[in-house]
Amino acid sequence: MPRLVIDDLQIEVPEGTKVIEAAERLGIMIPRFCYHKALGSAGACRMCAVKFIHGPFKGLQMSCMIDAQDGMVVSTTDEEAVAFRRQVIEWLMMNHPHDCPVCDEGGQCLLQDETVSGGHGLRRYPGRKRTYHDQYLGEFIAHEMNRCIHCYRCSRFYQDFAGYRDLGPMQIANRVYFGRFRDGPLESPFAGNLVDICPTGVYTDRSSRYKARRWDLQRVPFLCIHCSLGCSTVASARYREVVRIEARFNESVNGHFICDRGRFAYPYANLADRPRRARVDGEDASLAEAVRAASGRLDQISMNAGPDAVALVASDRCSLETLAVLKRISREKGWRHPAVFPRPDLEHKTRRAVSRLDRRLAVSMRELESADFILAVGIDPVHEAPMLALALRQAFREDAGIVVMDPRPVSAPFDFDHVAIAPAEIGGCLSRITEALSALQADSAAQGKETRRPEAAGPLRADLDSRIAGIVERLRGSRNPVIVCGTDIVRDSTPDRAADLARLLLQLKARPCLFFVLPGPNSFGAVLLAESPGRSFSDVVQDIEQGKVKALLVVESDPFKNFPDRERLERALDRLDLLAAMDYLPTSVVGRAHIVLPTCTVFECGGSFINQEGRVQRVEPVHEGGIPVHQVSGGGHPPRVFSHEVPGGEIEAAWRTALEVAGYTNARDNLSILKIMAEEHPGFARCRDIPTSRSFRVLPDAGDRPPVCEETGDRAAPEAADTLEVVLVDRFFGTEELSGYSPVIQNADSEPLVFLHVRDAEPLGIAHSDWISIALEGGGLEVRAGVSAQMAEGVLVIPRHRLLEWQKLGPVPAQIPFGRISRAGKE
Amino acid sequence: MKEQLDQIFSRHHGTRDALIPVLQDIQAEYGYLPPEAMEAAARFCRVAPVEVYGVSTFYAQFKFSPVGRNLVMVCQGTACHVMGGARVLEEVQSRLGIRPGQTTADGRFTLETVACIGACALAPAMVVNKDTFGRVKPEKIMEMLNGSGS
Ligand code: SF4
Ligand code: SF4
Ligand code: FES
Ligand code: FES
Repeated sequence: MPRLVIDDLQIEVPEGTKVIEAAERLGIMIPRFCYHKALGSAGACRMCAVKFIHGPFKGLQMSCMIDAQDGMVVSTTDEEAVAFRRQVIEWLMMNHPHDCPVCDEGGQCLLQDETVSGGHGLRRYPGRKRTYHDQYLGEFIAHEMNRCIHCYRCSRFYQDFAGYRDLGPMQIANRVYFGRFRDGPLESPFAGNLVDICPTGVYTDRSSRYKARRWDLQRVPFLCIHCSLGCSTVASARYREVVRIEARFNESVNGHFICDRGRFAYPYANLADRPRRARVDGEDASLAEAVRAASGRLDQISMNAGPDAVALVASDRCSLETLAVLKRISREKGWRHPAVFPRPDLEHKTRRAVSRLDRRLAVSMRELESADFILAVGIDPVHEAPMLALALRQAFREDAGIVVMDPRPVSAPFDFDHVAIAPAEIGGCLSRITEALSALQADSAAQGKETRRPEAAGPLRADLDSRIAGIVERLRGSRNPVIVCGTDIVRDSTPDRAADLARLLLQLKARPCLFFVLPGPNSFGAVLLAESPGRSFSDVVQDIEQGKVKALLVVESDPFKNFPDRERLERALDRLDLLAAMDYLPTSVVGRAHIVLPTCTVFECGGSFINQEGRVQRVEPVHEGGIPVHQVSGGGHPPRVFSHEVPGGEIEAAWRTALEVAGYTNARDNLSILKIMAEEHPGFARCRDIPTSRSFRVLPDAGDRPPVCEETGDRAAPEAADTLEVVLVDRFFGTEELSGYSPVIQNADSEPLVFLHVRDAEPLGIAHSDWISIALEGGGLEVRAGVSAQMAEGVLVIPRHRLLEWQKLGPVPAQIPFGRISRAGKE
Repeated sequence: MKEQLDQIFSRHHGTRDALIPVLQDIQAEYGYLPPEAMEAAARFCRVAPVEVYGVSTFYAQFKFSPVGRNLVMVCQGTACHVMGGARVLEEVQSRLGIRPGQTTADGRFTLETVACIGACALAPAMVVNKDTFGRVKPEKIMEMLNGSGS
C-alpha cells in the first residue's frame, strides 16, 4: 500500500487511490468539479491542481488523475498551485451569467464555493459572454445551460453510469453543450440525479424551484419508502411543507443515487385534500372525539359479536412502529391480527423469501455490483426496484453476465439474455438448474445430497433445455454469482426454489448470493410481525361476506387500490357495522369510512422500515407537520390567520392514535414504542441501542436449517391454448401507491399499455399502440396495447396503473379467452 | 427525403463506424445536415441522436443549416487582422445582417470566416464564391457582394 505525504501529513492508502481521494481521507478537500467518487476522474476541469514536490511526478499536476504512490510529497497550498487554481476558476466563471440570485443552486453550489475558496473576486474579462438556448427536459428538471462549466459529470452519469443515451455532450470548444437532440422529457428514470451531481445550477429540481434556499430548510437524513429497497435520501421541508428530496450516500444500499420515483413522490404529503380533520359519520370532529367514538364502537361490537368480529387491515407502507402496535392491540383486544397483504399469494411468497434469507446468503445492493454472473427471475428491475437496475448496470460494466427470466418485455440499461417464459415455467427452470448443478457437483457428493429435494419440475418446453444448460455452465464458471428473485408475479414456490439454488451456490462458491425483491417498503417487517399462517385482505373480505367480521379498522392501507374486484369489495364494505380508516392519503376508503382518523406521513413522525435484505432503517421526522402555510394563507405570505395551535397540528403517528383507540393512554412516548417493538419481535430490541443514522440487519445467522419442502400447490401453466394468462405488474410510475398521489409524477407519467406477444396479437389483428378492448368480469376495459416479440407468449401483461380500471378483472388469477380481446374502434 | 436517405443508407453498413461517411453523404446530398436526416442516421447506425449531433458538431466540415447561393469568406488571419480584417467582417455582418456561420433569410449569402487564405500580401482579404478580393475597403463591400453574388 502506497504511503505518501500531503501537506506534511502522512497517509497510507490502498493501491489505485487517487491523490485527491487520499487527501480527502486526511480531511483536505482539494477543489474539484469533474471528479466524483461514483464517476471517477475525467481531468476536464483543471480545478484540482496541486504541486508534486517529490516522487515520480514533479510540478503542477491534476490530483484526480494521479494514483497515490510511495514516496510522493504533495502540497495543496503551494503558491503555484493556488495561483493556478485561481486562474482556473476565473476562466470557468468567464461565461457564467452571474445569476446566482435567481438560481436554485445558490447556497448549495460547488461553483460558488470554489469561486470564493479559489480567491476569484474581480472580473477582468470585458468580452461578451457565450450564451446557449435552454431545453425543455420534462416535468422534473429545469435546464439553464449558461451556468455550465463543462465538467462532464452529467453525461458521464447519464450515459456511462446509468446507461441512457438521450442526453450527452455536443458541439466543440467553448460551445460544448449538454442536452438532448431535441427538447423533450429525459428518458432515464434516474435523471433526477443530474440535479445532485451537477456542480452548478444547470439542472435544478422543478418541483422545488424557487421555494427555498438550502439554509432555510429543515433537512433530515431520510429513507425512501417507494419500493422495497429502502434507499437513503435527504428530505427537506419548509413552512410545514416537504419541498425536496435528494439522494444520500449509503454504502450498503443505494450508493450515491436514487431513482426519480423516490425523488419526486414526496408531494403526496402536501396534498390540499389530505385528510386533516377527524370525521365521525360525515361530521368534522376533534381527533380526541373521533378516537373516543372509534374506541367505543369497536368495544361495543367486540362485546356484542365477539372480539373476532373486529378486523384490522394495514399495509406494507406502515412503519414497524405501527405494525408492532397493531399486533399488540389486536392480541390484547382479541381482534383479528392485521391483514397486511392484499393477496394470499403475496403474503405467502414474502414469508417464504424472508424465512429463507440468512446472514450468509443475503447480498446487499452494493455487493451485487461486484457479482460476475446474475440470474434474475420474475423481476422487471426498472419497474419493481429501480435502483436495482442501476446496481445491475454497474455489474454489467464490469463484464458480469446477466440473465433475466421473466414473461414481461423487460428493458433495462444493460445487456442481458432474456428468457421470456410464463410465470409458471420459472420455478421449473430454477429447479432444473439446481438439479443440473448439483449433479455436476456429484463428485463432492457429501454436499450435493443435502440440498437435493424431490423436485416438482413440471414438463418444460424443449427449446428451454439449451438455455438452461447455458445458464448452468455460466453459474459453474462464475466466481461470484447472484440470484435475484422477485415476489410479485412468480408462483408461490418460486422464492423457495431460488433460495435452494442460492444455497447450493453458497456451498460451491462460499459467497452470499441471494437477493429478493419484495412487494413493498415494509413487507419484510410485516411478515416478521405477522402470525403464521397470516391472513391476507381477501380472507377478510370473505369473512365480511359471511358475516363474521362486522367492524374494520383500516390503517394506512387502501384496499381499493389493490383488491382485484372492486364491486365485490364495495358490497362487502357496505355490510360492515363500522368502517374506521386511519390514513394520511385521501383514499377511497377514507372517503367512505364512518370514522376517519387522520395520521402523519413518515415525514412528520419518522419511523422504521425493513428493506428487502432485512435491513432495519429508522428515521426521525423532518418537520412537525400541520397544514402547509401557503394552504392556510390562501397562497399569500405571511399568513394572516392567527391561532394558538398549528393548523392541522393535532394529527399524530398512526401507532399513537391506534394505541389510543385501543384504550392505552400511558404508552405514548418514544421510549415505550421501542419497548413495544422489542416485545413484539426480539430482533427489534436493537432499535433501542442503535442511532437512527445506522442501520442493522435482522437476519438469522447461518441458517443451517434444512431446505423447506413445503408442499405448495402452484398453479400450473394454463393448458387451454385459447386463453391468455393475466399477469398483473408494477410500473415505474403509476402503480406504487404513494407516488401515484404526487402531482409532479402524475404530470410526467405516460399512458399505461397492456402488453401481449406478437404471435398472440396477430391473429386478433392487433398492432402496437392500437386501442383494444378487453371484456373483464366487471366490465370492458379500453386500453392501448403494446405488442412485443421480446416477451413470453400466452400472457397478457396488465399494469396495476391508477389510470386503468384493472380492478374490473374479478377474481385473480385470471385467464382471458382470446375471444374477449378485440381491437377497439377508438383511435 | 426518405427515398434519398434510403439510397444513401443502402451504400453503407448500419453500424457505428459508418456514421461519419453516412453524414458526409447526407451533406453531399443536401448541402447540410437536416435534423430529420440526423435522426434517421442515428437509427440507421444504431446510435443515439445526441451522439450523431455530438460527432457532427465536433468536425468543422458539417453544416447545420442550408448554405446560401453565395459563400462569403472573410479572412481573420494574422496579416488581415493587422490590416483591419475585423472592420471588414463587421461591415459584411452589418450589411448582410448575419453573423459568421449564418445564412441570410433570402438564402442568398452564407457568411464564414477563415484564418488565412494565403493572400497575406493583399490583406485584408475576402472571398466571394470564386472571386478573391484584396486590400478590401469597407465602403466597397456592397459592390463586391453584388458584383459576384447571384
Ligand atoms: S451541465 Fe453541469 S454537470 Fe454537466 S458539464 Fe455542465 S456543469 Fe458539469
Ligand atoms: S429504488 Fe426504490 S427505494 Fe430507491 S429511490 Fe427508487 S423507489 Fe425509492
Ligand atoms: S477534478 Fe481534477 S481535473 Fe477536474
Ligand atoms: S491572413 Fe488574411 S490572407 Fe493571410
